[in-house]
Amino acid sequence: MVDFLIGLFLASLITALFTTRLYRLLLWYSMNSLMLGLLALFIGRELNDTSMLITGIATILIKAVGIPYFFKRMSQKFHFVRQIIPEIKVQYAIMLIPAILVFTFYLADPITHMMHGNANYVAISISSLFLSLLLMMEHRNVAPKIIGFLSMENALFLLGITATDGMPMLVELGIFFDLLMAIVVINLLFHKEEANL
Amino acid sequence: MMLTFLLLPAIIMFIVSFFKNRKAKFLLPVSSFAILLPIIKLFILPKPYAILGSYLVADKLDTYILLVSSIVGIGVTLALLTLDRHVKVSAHAYSRFYRFFAIFWIGLIFSILANHMGIYWIGLELATLSTVYMIKTNHTPAAHKEAWNYMIVGAIAISLVLFGIILMYASAKPILGEDAMQFDLLLQHAKEIPSPFLFEMGFAIATVGMFVKMGFFPMNLWLANIERASFYPVAALFSGILESAVIVGFFRFSEVAAEVNYSHLFMFVFVYTLLTIFIVSFLIFRAKDFMRLFSLSGIEHMALIALFWVSGGTFAALLHFGAHAFLKPALFLSTGVLESNGKYRIAGALRGYSGKKGTLFWFLVSLFLLAIISLPPSPMFFSELYGFGAMIENAKESDHMLVMITAVLLLLILLSVIFYRFVAIYQSMKYEGETHTKKVYASELFALVLFALSLLALLLPDSMAYLRSIV
Repeated sequence: MVDFLIGLFLASLITALFTTRLYRLLLWYSMNSLMLGLLALFIGRELNDTSMLITGIATILIKAVGIPYFFKRMSQKFHFVRQIIPEIKVQYAIMLIPAILVFTFYLADPITHMMHGNANYVAISISSLFLSLLLMMEHRNVAPKIIGFLSMENALFLLGITATDGMPMLVELGIFFDLLMAIVVINLLFHKEEANL
Repeated sequence: MMLTFLLLPAIIMFIVSFFKNRKAKFLLPVSSFAILLPIIKLFILPKPYAILGSYLVADKLDTYILLVSSIVGIGVTLALLTLDRHVKVSAHAYSRFYRFFAIFWIGLIFSILANHMGIYWIGLELATLSTVYMIKTNHTPAAHKEAWNYMIVGAIAISLVLFGIILMYASAKPILGEDAMQFDLLLQHAKEIPSPFLFEMGFAIATVGMFVKMGFFPMNLWLANIERASFYPVAALFSGILESAVIVGFFRFSEVAAEVNYSHLFMFVFVYTLLTIFIVSFLIFRAKDFMRLFSLSGIEHMALIALFWVSGGTFAALLHFGAHAFLKPALFLSTGVLESNGKYRIAGALRGYSGKKGTLFWFLVSLFLLAIISLPPSPMFFSELYGFGAMIENAKESDHMLVMITAVLLLLILLSVIFYRFVAIYQSMKYEGETHTKKVYASELFALVLFALSLLALLLPDSMAYLRSIV
């Protein structure tokens, strides 16, 4: 089940890279976060780790539901451009994404030998990080860049869950707090943009 | 209790920033001054002092960095008092600036005092996010663009730091469990880490994140662009305080990395900083305005601090750090006066000041300009002497003496390029161009005098002895 969820996590991120509509991108981000939350719940149940279960529920509530909803409202309020065409052509992206995946598996190879348990997941976390960076780079609009940043947080969270069998609760809550702060700052940046118009 | 006192001024500042009453606005600078009091108290207390269990622990290193940062904060507040005389800034933007300055301080206190990698990261992220809005205080399209740039590049850098922290934590978790996040325990058990490669990978990734945040290779220009686009107090905060929070993390991580494998750490940082200084020296040679010049020079000095630190010259690194933390904000704040009305001409920039205030201003700026390129008796002169000495001492214990001498010579050539450029700029500021009447305000002068006195205090034998006793 964990393998299946992690596959869906990666698939939702790859699909987000090809998306040309903002709301659809939000949906894929929401799916990505949902898979992450479910992963935390499954691994937390396996390890009997209460803090990871709390993290999983918080991920689903904040990242899979709260942030996409808030972002959608923000996009309506500030009239974001709904069409988001990636700068990289589809045919190049199709070649680039597998290349990133292969490269990251190669890069993470020495690490995976040292880890017990979910070793391959480290490679998937690193590739998710690179793919999120690609999402930030391939768009000119600010909105997909923000989604790229949020997906990067998801990739880091995945690494935290799989590589370390869960980070301390304090750190995970701190990351959530910082994420909310990032959303406030992003909202303020858009507010100022509106004031300038 | 101590934590409450440390956070209280920033919390008051945050709350007051929402008040509409004009008189309440006077409380904002007062609360910024009040930050110094609990820090002095903390400085005097015996070390290590547990502030919040084993999560926040004050030792000699972090209280020194906190004290330096609080003095810089006061200097910046003084310059902020007359910011509206130089640039167009609304009262609303001013209080919003303080609102985010308060959040910035809270983040800094946590990251500087953290004995926990996770708390360090949370504090740094909080400080990073709050600076995004400070850049936006300037109402220009360039500032807007750079705020977004900072948001994105800063987020990437900070994510790399977290990525590295997770790997380091994963490497030490088998022996330390959840305590593998604590710097002191990591340091004690560094030699027992079962997968040192994993730790080194984590350290390298986190260090790249921290170096990117400080504008090291290959991101040499992004910080300079951001500081150019924002108001000068923001640049002063960046160079004097935010970089302190980043470098304290580097100090902590590298202490553990040195125990894991010193030669790997040294080679990695040595090559990285040398590349950075190589590029920065040529960028400084081509710099055409003050802000960019000082930003690039800041990157050069942070690279030198990192290099001295890993070479075993911890005293040199800390002295250089203190001198840089006072000198660079002083220069950035002077930029506000030198570039009055947005005209940033280098030629004749030091001319046109009359009266006692004017004379004191150009004299102090001249001193700062010559001190930043390490002309004696600047503390930077001594720190560089001790730093290069430490590099040679380090090479004596290895078989790479010739390589080290070549590297030191290369560094000296690069530093002389910077020296030449700064002297040429100084002469152009003083002896060329037309004379325009310019005004300097008392609050700005107070800030510069505060920084000059702090620099002098660094040269006192007691201060030097304190710095030597830190590591």
